[in-house]
Amino acid sequence: MFETYIKDYNEAVFEIDKELALEVVETAIQNGVTPEQVVFNIIIPSIEEMMAVIAENADTNLAQHFMTAQIAAEITEKMLAKFTTPPEVVGRIIIGTAYGDLHSLGKRIVMGCLKSMMVEVVDLGVNIKAEDFVDAAVAQDAQVIAISSMMVHTATGEDGSIKVRALLKERNLENKIKLVVGGAPYRFDHELYTKVGADKWAADGVTAAKIIKQLILEVKAS
Amino acid sequence: MSPLETLSAAITGQPAHRIPIFCNLLDQGAKELNMPLEQYYSKGEYVADAQLKMLKRYGYDNVWSLSYVGKEAQLLGCQKILFAKNGVPNVADFVIKSWDDIPTFEIPEDIILHPHWQSIADCLKILQHEVGSTHPICAYVTASTTLPILLMGMDKWMELVLTGPVSLRDELLRKCSDFVQQEIAALRDAGANVIIYATPFGSPYFIPKKMIADWSMPWMQRDLIAGPDNIVYYCGMAPLNTVTELVIDKLNINLFYPAPEDDISESKRLINGKGLTSGVIDDIKMIHWTKQQTRDEVKRIIEIGKPGGHFLFGTGLMPLDIPEENIIALLDAAFEYGRYA
Repeated sequence: MFETYIKDYNEAVFEIDKELALEVVETAIQNGVTPEQVVFNIIIPSIEEMMAVIAENADTNLAQHFMTAQIAAEITEKMLAKFTTPPEVVGRIIIGTAYGDLHSLGKRIVMGCLKSMMVEVVDLGVNIKAEDFVDAAVAQDAQVIAISSMMVHTATGEDGSIKVRALLKERNLENKIKLVVGGAPYRFDHELYTKVGADKWAADGVTAAKIIKQLILEVKAS
Repeated sequence: MSPLETLSAAITGQPAHRIPIFCNLLDQGAKELNMPLEQYYSKGEYVADAQLKMLKRYGYDNVWSLSYVGKEAQLLGCQKILFAKNGVPNVADFVIKSWDDIPTFEIPEDIILHPHWQSIADCLKILQHEVGSTHPICAYVTASTTLPILLMGMDKWMELVLTGPVSLRDELLRKCSDFVQQEIAALRDAGANVIIYATPFGSPYFIPKKMIADWSMPWMQRDLIAGPDNIVYYCGMAPLNTVTELVIDKLNINLFYPAPEDDISESKRLINGKGLTSGVIDDIKMIHWTKQQTRDEVKRIIEIGKPGGHFLFGTGLMPLDIPEENIIALLDAAFEYGRYA
């Protein structure tokens, strides 16, 4: 039963048809699917399927990634309000754009996917200082800091990820908090993340959610 | 041959001593004049002076009248640009803060009377006087389908494009397209002879090909109503090979500046001797490459693209972090491997 919904829902997302995607979910609910099942048996598997498609074939586009995240986040928020018991949270991340960077699209895609995957997201916004990322991660007991940069100088600058790494090292937090980066510069140089001190990088927002979730589970298991 | 003649020969397939070599040094101009970026970009004279000094020092083929992309936002009402010490200036004030602002948003009645046009005009006047008859003078125009990113941010624009009211979206696009038409005309009048038409929403990296054909294309046709002369199709370093045939067919553009990830052989096959395509180096990697790695990549690109002409070697918007020795290595290799026997 869920396979059909997942297929129909993902087809709608691929066609960037939000109304149709919402209709699929509405039909599922009318047919007796519970809010919990909508999230765990339709939305999350659909995001994972999009992740698999991106991993196998790069021929997806930013509009599809955006819609994947936005529709999933919107439906999840509605469904969560109807859950009979609060869901178990996978973990928590701190997210923001690098200091000097005001571009927020990538961050928004990552956040949309993560929220649907039951990851708590603390969004610091744009133009965030390195100290603020680390302080927030400690205060919120987060497992991951995620930093988005659209421009080369905000990715490689001394006030961005490089400084976050230095602070994590200085405060002996490197085993407790992992650092993930993403954004255009990293797509052009796949080794750049190592040069700015990150543990991982992702080429797109949907894949970033997958990587972040894996890192959360690794930190919690250690 | 002058660089302008070299470019013309490459486009038409006439014999030339070498391929054209475009090196896009923008923020480096501040270093050249030993100024902070904000001061450097405050006057068109500074930009022109630095462009001419760098042209003389490095010997590549093109100069730029572009200060920074956010200048277009300023022409449309942006009140604040965030200048960095070491990189591209950011738009820090969105003119359209919510969709409700769209109906009252206005473009300049006459772009050349706008205070922010002055520095562009000053820059172009000097460049035109000094090298207008010999060198390509590049100007940068953001397509109407992309311009709203500078006005409201990428995520709000994406939301409006994909899920918002069509009438509101089209109202904004009409205003943006009117602005683009004005901007292209003004830049041509002021002496720009190569217009880089930046259209990320014309790349399948951003939206599906069908949406490019059905939605972006009519707006691009409207933007370019004055004709495709010297218009270069560029998707902001996003791939464009798979839409090249569509663009040739619908826009009559025959100059292309693909992404580093576009296959150069395929770019050449698609242009098929009818204009010019480019081999563009992934210059972000040049920040950490050695001189030899830079040379090797230039050689690889040119060896694929040079045979048969209709080819230009170029860079992206060279980040400031690239060591000068790599800029020199890039140009040495480009001049060496770009020569025709």
